[in-house]
Amino acid sequence: MSGAGTTTAPTVGTTTVATRVRDRAASDPTAVAMRHKDLGVWKEISWAEYWDTVLTTAHALLALGVESGDRVSIQCENRPEWLELDIATVAVGAITVGLYPTNPAAEVAYLLSHSGSCIHLAEDQEQLDKVLEVIDQCPDLRRIITVERRGIEGRYDDDRLLGWPALQQLGREHRAAHPGAVEARMAAAQPDDVLTLVYTSGTTGPPKGAMLTHANIAFGLKTVVEEASFVDPPAGPDDLTLSYLPLCHVAERFFTTWYNAGAGTQVNFAESIDTVAANLTEVQPTLFFAVPRIWEKQLATARIKIDSATPVKRAWGRFWLARAERTGELLERTGGNHTLGSRLTYLVGWVLFYRAFLVRLGLRRVRYASCGAAPVAPDVLRFFMGVGVPMHEVYGMTENSAIATANRPGRVRLGTVGEPLEGAEVRLDDGTGEVLTRHPAVFKGYWRDEEATARTIDADGWLHTGDVGEWVGGTHLRITDRMKDIIITAGGKNVSPSEIENLLKASPYVKEAVVVGDGRKYLTGLIGIELDTVSDWAQRRGLAFTTYADLAAKPEVHELVAGIVKQVNERLATVEQLKDFRLLPKELDHEDGELTATQKVKRAAVAATFEELVSQMYAVPGGAR
Amino acid sequence: MTATQHEPGRTGRGSDAPASTKPRRRWGRPTLYTSYGQEMALLNTRAKQLGVLAIIAVAAYLPLTLEDDLLALLGTGLVLAVGAIGLNLLIGYAGQVSLGHAFFVGVGAYTAAVLAGDPDGRYLGFGVSEAPVWIVAAGVVAALFGVVVAPLATRLRGLYLAVVTLGLVFIGQYFFAEWREMSGGPGIGRESAVPVVLGNDLTRDGAYTEEQKLFWLFLVVLVIMALLGRNIARSRIGRAFAAVRDRDIAAGVMGVELGRYKLIAFTISSFFAGVCGSLLYVGSGQFSPEQFGLLLSVQFIAMVLIGGVATISGSIMGALLIALLPRLSSELPAFLPFVSSSPTDHPNVFEVEVGLYGALIVAFLLFEPRGLFGIWLRIRTYWKSFPFSY
Repeated sequence: MSGAGTTTAPTVGTTTVATRVRDRAASDPTAVAMRHKDLGVWKEISWAEYWDTVLTTAHALLALGVESGDRVSIQCENRPEWLELDIATVAVGAITVGLYPTNPAAEVAYLLSHSGSCIHLAEDQEQLDKVLEVIDQCPDLRRIITVERRGIEGRYDDDRLLGWPALQQLGREHRAAHPGAVEARMAAAQPDDVLTLVYTSGTTGPPKGAMLTHANIAFGLKTVVEEASFVDPPAGPDDLTLSYLPLCHVAERFFTTWYNAGAGTQVNFAESIDTVAANLTEVQPTLFFAVPRIWEKQLATARIKIDSATPVKRAWGRFWLARAERTGELLERTGGNHTLGSRLTYLVGWVLFYRAFLVRLGLRRVRYASCGAAPVAPDVLRFFMGVGVPMHEVYGMTENSAIATANRPGRVRLGTVGEPLEGAEVRLDDGTGEVLTRHPAVFKGYWRDEEATARTIDADGWLHTGDVGEWVGGTHLRITDRMKDIIITAGGKNVSPSEIENLLKASPYVKEAVVVGDGRKYLTGLIGIELDTVSDWAQRRGLAFTTYADLAAKPEVHELVAGIVKQVNERLATVEQLKDFRLLPKELDHEDGELTATQKVKRAAVAATFEELVSQMYAVPGGAR
Repeated sequence: MTATQHEPGRTGRGSDAPASTKPRRRWGRPTLYTSYGQEMALLNTRAKQLGVLAIIAVAAYLPLTLEDDLLALLGTGLVLAVGAIGLNLLIGYAGQVSLGHAFFVGVGAYTAAVLAGDPDGRYLGFGVSEAPVWIVAAGVVAALFGVVVAPLATRLRGLYLAVVTLGLVFIGQYFFAEWREMSGGPGIGRESAVPVVLGNDLTRDGAYTEEQKLFWLFLVVLVIMALLGRNIARSRIGRAFAAVRDRDIAAGVMGVELGRYKLIAFTISSFFAGVCGSLLYVGSGQFSPEQFGLLLSVQFIAMVLIGGVATISGSIMGALLIALLPRLSSELPAFLPFVSSSPTDHPNVFEVEVGLYGALIVAFLLFEPRGLFGIWLRIRTYWKSFPFSY
């Protein structure tokens, strides 16, 4: 299917995501490109409609005077307009800059001024207010497009505002007056042209804008869709995906926008991050990518629902989940290949339990599930493998267009991020053990930051990922931790905090765990409880509580977490054990600067905010038990 | 806050883009509705489609296997179900308590009998023999009476409405009893309408017995009426009914015309009652005025409560159970030796039967307020939520 774009490529110029959408609209106009839920109904958008809107929007951008290489920024939840403006921007040779909808005004100011964005899309009143608050710091910004009308129309008096319907009208007029203008821009695209700036979330320092080019994306798509296709039959128009992670993140962008354009998969937009579970059961995607947090949450939900079921269902569920655990362990040993015995067990279980179980979780039709973007506990993956979800951990980062390593079907090794993808060179730095990658999808550099670029890509073209890794069995890569996160205790031992944290987070009751102990005698932990599960637990014990802080302060909850810490400690070497822990009195939040936009913990910020808790653990002589 | 949801960019799509895609169902994703039509469809899942088809197939096959006496009883159940659906639309959906259902059933029964009756016979008759004609006419005449009664309902609520409709039953009984030319008078009665469909008299045994042919006729009528009832319930009218039931003042504020929808509720309900009445005594061939007393009204209410308030399928289940109750209680002496089957002994099966009505109503209201349909719902939810509980 995707050959349509490549065969005609020499005559019309570079294959970009925009030409892919155009060619698909020509070859299969009535097929479904995406669905979005509107007033309870999943509205379908065909490829022809998709391309038509893209073309009109692109003409509107021309009418607004967008030149090749200009930046167009988008701060919006996942919805068709995100993709349409993104592809339109690429079509006219401009550069898309994605912002997280959760970015506060200060970060919006930095991202807009740093990228020099001239057109900005603010989804609704909330996002618009952020931009207007800091608009004086963004001298290049000329127009602000809004999508939602509510609260905006008739209430803001600003010439720079432009509603989406007005934008379309502008585009239609320009399209009628200058037919072929967008096509001309598309034909002028060069493989080396930048199509997007992806700002890294920045656990340390301000975000840096990674420049990705058409060639990067082309290589990425060729690798995962055409060459190293991880599913059989390859991903195509019959596959459904669910789009719910922020689109400005490279993983979701790849999986939603580029995958959709490259392989023709049907994108379904979740209503919000909170409705993912409900939307999953409706959509029942065939390809599903999720970050560890989502998988952990799914696991916790499943366990809680089984535990709170009627006695017969509970016993039945526990019986089959215990079988699944055995199956998971077996699959872990065999790399994901069933034996005859396990296949028979699973077959019986599928009829009696797993089928219904997976339908309820929305994973029944999943033929390829992947987990990435953050470290994950192997227990979580093993659980899903056991119940019959073909689970694969993958590894990549913004700077290499999310192309590095992946676990392949039948060759899964839990705890590793898999084998290097075809055409991707991966090696470890001899001295530090840092993971280095080199392939055509390595980014062009950081936007307006030569120095950081030079630090990241060396003279031979190797990308320094900043992750420390090691080879397992000579083929699979295991990521130990971020280089800068490695804790060196006072005793001089190197400890990887994320492994300990993930063991803790594998428990349904633990949402966040931050291990501290750099330069200290022993390790301690700050632990955030999962409100849903712990409140459920408390209710079943008749434990009254009011707020999160109140619940976290309960001695019973402390005891519950102490039990989890004890279990985890038993699996760790003495130096890695937590000698003490404190429960966080609040949920970590992006707004408060404790999390990045991708929900990764900013260790330094957390350690600073809860300085008092940390010092308590090291001050009290009895702290070390 | 305005309720209008803006659809940015979607409005202009139709103009320059090629024909938009027709909403399709995706295999294996029963809740992925891509249009309201799919979601609101009568049988919106494959399981429902197959289930209803299977039930109708089994029902159509029953006459070939069952004894004629049981078949006659079940046939009566089917006819009663039509009336129960009508009462459920009034009580369950629109929330208007009525004890006067027996009156409308009576109007239907006499309309049919008079229309189909022999013009040269002892009682009033016009000789319109085709069943579809007098069935519809019975419904229409009963509905007209409903229109006349409805204005009372718009001024009364709850208990007062119940008492007024109770009065209707007594007035009706008086007229039925005294208009002897039409009804034959109390204790005597007249012959019921003879069902003739396309020139075939269904009461004459041919290749199939009378009971078999009548059962099929009743089944066809029930399917049509149930479909009609279900469609009324899930349409604009049904939603207005529910609004009136839940709180009439709030419904009025929302723009539901109370008077109009109460009128519609009584009219529709009476139409169903009329259709039910026209066929109710076709099997026995004879009926008298005292049959349209309070007991019949109470039986209909029992069907609604036992079957399930505000459900069409529940009404059918309730009607079948009530119709089979005499048969069930007549089996009792075999299990409970102290119950006699002779009417002169005490306690006898007839007393037990009357007691059972009461006991069933009390038991259902206490333990399963949603009726037989509620039991089904419980079973369905158990498996629908499997392996979880919610």
